[in-house]
Amino acid sequence: MNLSLKYKVLMIFMLLVFIGVFLYYYGAKVRQEEADAEALRDYSYIVREYALDAVYKSKENPVEVELYPSAYTEAILERWKAISDRYPEFEYPEAAIEEGDWFKVNRVIKDAEMLKDTVDKMYEDATVEFEGLKGSFTTLLDYIFYQKYEPSNIEDILIDLGFESPREEE
Amino acid sequence: MKKRIIVIIVTVITLLTIGSYLISERLNAYQDIEEVIEQEFRTLRQYVEDVYAIEYLDDDRALVFYSWDFPAYYNFGVMELEKTWRGWQFVEAISNRMERKTAWVKGTYAEITDRVILRGPVSGNAEEIVIITDDGREYRPEIGRAEWQMWYLILEDEPFEEATFILYDSDGEVLREEVLQFDLNWPE
Repeated sequence: MNLSLKYKVLMIFMLLVFIGVFLYYYGAKVRQEEADAEALRDYSYIVREYALDAVYKSKENPVEVELYPSAYTEAILERWKAISDRYPEFEYPEAAIEEGDWFKVNRVIKDAEMLKDTVDKMYEDATVEFEGLKGSFTTLLDYIFYQKYEPSNIEDILIDLGFESPREEE
Repeated sequence: MKKRIIVIIVTVITLLTIGSYLISERLNAYQDIEEVIEQEFRTLRQYVEDVYAIEYLDDDRALVFYSWDFPAYYNFGVMELEKTWRGWQFVEAISNRMERKTAWVKGTYAEITDRVILRGPVSGNAEEIVIITDDGREYRPEIGRAEWQMWYLILEDEPFEEATFILYDSDGEVLREEVLQFDLNWPE
């Protein structure tokens, strides 16, 4: 076959266009997959952390997950609200909760300074003696989300301030 | 000459189509549903999971009952898979938080695609469950065993809001009777 130069150039040009289009779509697909994976990771985190019920309608392009509070979510929010009622600077994101925007809710509580200030005030306000080190900003997160007392002296403080009912005598 | 080329092209395309169909059929037939399920868990980021049962609704549809999340496996899920020409594919999944703790039995109502499913954790001592509804219907749900025990019922008639659950041990003795309520409007 004896093709003219013009024809060869055209062929190469067409080939390049095809490769370009392929790479563009392939890149877009990879970026979409990464975005989907990240969204699903965020949903998984928020479902675990807030004990939410979830309906996974679609897992790709676009990811569609509906979140609903469970009875255990309500318990978490109750603990949060109780602390906020006594310490108003400890923000309780009522509007975001009503809207069901759990990612927004989560951004509010991840304010380390707010957590630390509130926990410091709790130690100051408590009238009971306590042993050991004072709690840090994670102390309140452990209490609100898992009802875990870390360090253990926070349990007495929470009982003293009326957040938790006194332990039953054994 | 031209006619011959067309015949060749059509034949090649037909053979390729039939060939790829047969290959995909073959691959699908050997596709291990458990591997697909594992892959779906990874995609959904539902780690540390445990499968209690796989129920085939028909040849092309399966429901997977599982629970996930470290350390307590308290998120009880059900996932529907459908077999297509690309193999088993994800359709929908529902995850409900149910902390068994000291309870004997818990349960929740959910609709997945066109099925009504009741499910929840049950005490490890229960060998069999009998469900009796207010209007006298009786069901014996399946029990799947993994990290916990999970009962499940794929309901084909009218859903019920309340029912008595009678739990039997391995000797057939009644362990416990509990009344459970179901929110038929969930998730609204």
